[in-house]
Amino acid sequence: MIEYVIIIIAVFSAIIALLQEDLLKAAILTGISGVCIAVLYEILLAPDVALTQAIVGAAITPIFIALAIQKTKRTDD
Amino acid sequence: MNYLIPLMVIIPILCALIVNVIGEKNRTTRLLSILVGIAIPVIALVAVPGVQYFGGHNPSLIGSMLPASLNGTLASMYNTGIVYVFSDFERIFIFIMGLVAFLAVLTYFTEKKEISGPYLYLIFMGLAAVTALMLSDDIFNMYVFFEITALAQVGIIIATNTDDNYEIALKYLIIGSIGGPMLLLGIGFILGTIGSLNITDIAYVINHNLVDPLSPGLVIGFVLILFGWFYVSGLPPFHTIKSAVYSKARPNGAAILQGFSVMCMLAFGIALIRIFHHMPYFNQLLVLFAIIAMVLSVSMAAMQWDFRRMIAFLAVGELGFVALGMGIGTELSLTAALFQATNEILISALLFIGFGTVYYLTKTSDTRKLGGLISVNSTMAIMVLLGGFAMAGVPPFNGFMSKLMLVQSAFDAGYPELALIAIFVSITIFFTFVKAFHTIYLQPRPKDLKFAHETIPKEALFAVGVLLVVCLILGLCPWIVTNVFSSFVGGLI
Amino acid sequence: MVVMDVQLASLFCAGALVIIGLFAVIFIDNIIKKIIGIAFIEEGANLFLIALGYKAGGVVPIFMPGMNASWFAANSAYPLPQALVLTSIVIGASTLAVMLALAMVLYRKHGSLSAREIMGDEE
Repeated sequence: MIEYVIIIIAVFSAIIALLQEDLLKAAILTGISGVCIAVLYEILLAPDVALTQAIVGAAITPIFIALAIQKTKRTDD
Repeated sequence: MNYLIPLMVIIPILCALIVNVIGEKNRTTRLLSILVGIAIPVIALVAVPGVQYFGGHNPSLIGSMLPASLNGTLASMYNTGIVYVFSDFERIFIFIMGLVAFLAVLTYFTEKKEISGPYLYLIFMGLAAVTALMLSDDIFNMYVFFEITALAQVGIIIATNTDDNYEIALKYLIIGSIGGPMLLLGIGFILGTIGSLNITDIAYVINHNLVDPLSPGLVIGFVLILFGWFYVSGLPPFHTIKSAVYSKARPNGAAILQGFSVMCMLAFGIALIRIFHHMPYFNQLLVLFAIIAMVLSVSMAAMQWDFRRMIAFLAVGELGFVALGMGIGTELSLTAALFQATNEILISALLFIGFGTVYYLTKTSDTRKLGGLISVNSTMAIMVLLGGFAMAGVPPFNGFMSKLMLVQSAFDAGYPELALIAIFVSITIFFTFVKAFHTIYLQPRPKDLKFAHETIPKEALFAVGVLLVVCLILGLCPWIVTNVFSSFVGGLI
Repeated sequence: MVVMDVQLASLFCAGALVIIGLFAVIFIDNIIKKIIGIAFIEEGANLFLIALGYKAGGVVPIFMPGMNASWFAANSAYPLPQALVLTSIVIGASTLAVMLALAMVLYRKHGSLSAREIMGDEE
């Protein structure tokens, strides 16, 4: 059952990330989507990929985006 | 074991890493780059044709170690590791690409006093990636090296100080980030249907009807990979961004970028033909997009005032000829397409470097502000003119031979209208080129034309001269390469 | 009620991510959001590959000591896509970093993150 919840969270956080006004929130939601996919990889019998995805998708990608936002502009208008 | 085959990829990567670290030390970097630039064509010439099984996964050797239940099944003959194939066909393209890279690096050294390590890193990394693309028989390995090539291409534009280069780089990356994952998804569909990534295995399975050749997975994979291929080779709808990319790079950078594009186009195009030649509408689709590419790019080239944009559009239009040859799909037309691709690498490099000297002299690329440059260096002017003739297809140059073969193959295959379009596009290329040549070199020099440099560097003259000689040799003795190509094509279809 | 199995649900999730990402890249004007969309496309493509190799009721494709080889071969998930995705994740991350760096440079030059303002004058 948990896998369906995770899939739904992954897709919805992706959609909500793109609807945010505040880009920092979008970056964090991208990270949430990344974590959910990492868990999904674990369920799909790929533990080593899950580790990589957990680092890249949940930490590196949102941090890069957040750094870029810090150097540019935080709001999307 | 044939160690020279993996060395063709390893040497440029090593050189790239070292040059990146010691970029500040001018003399060592120059020496190393030139040595490696010479080494790649030489290795390509002397290497013995063969097959390299990475990790020792040679199916004929490990077949006896498999469990008994797998004996005689399809799985026992699959290649499980990455396989590099080196034959005379790969030899020609790696030699020519290595030659162009060497000449581009040579001209780069004269353009700037301070050389930059990262820029050389990008050139060598791209060279290694396209070499691996050409050698690799594994479609995912090709995808990885294609992504490296794309990043190297973007890096080469970023490292250039022209207006709007960052904008073009970001645009190319964003478009590439759609094209790349589409390619990956297509590879995923093929993997899901067939269970192997090795092109030889995939082609074997499809040709022996072990899977339904028109199964939905394969059709979707075909569409996605075809889309990725259009992005790789700058066919419409990507011809504008591709030509913008060329016009933003330094002349030597543009020469290399065009070489990379042609190599990527060939590697993926051959994979497409080997895997998907049975698809309905395969040839028609290729011919359609090739014609759109030729007509659109050449007509846009005719409208440009900026000569760098003009050559960039002409270079993209020439890629349309290669796609046309692949699309007609007969043995002669495929040979012509491969020959045309060879010529395309050489002639575009010649023109980019040759016209690059104009920008070097005057720091402007607007033909309306230029004129009378033949008095600066008439040798260069004549060599550029001859290079343009080679591109437009004037005898006795190689462009004429390949276009003649292409037109002939179109007639033989029963498409005289394609032949007519090809001839018409060639004539347009000729007039566009002659008009630009006339305005830049022959018309009276405008009074307000300022010179940034007084003379053309000798290295640029040397580079253009070498390329012209190779073009002439290929034009007079085309059988050097066409024999190899026709035997390669004979094994392809 | 028919319960969808995990593999099919994951494939749908991958498709949804690719479509969301494509939508963002094509229709959203903000460059950072375009780049986030590209990250979703890449994640979708990776998830698609991993879901292909899944085997319902199978085991993780890591050969432990004491396992029976033919039992393992019959019951493990397909490991090839997993090896591919490891490479692909890294490629995606590096492309993302380059794009974000370019976005930062362009913001300094144009003072805006709007794709129309930055790239509009081209063509």
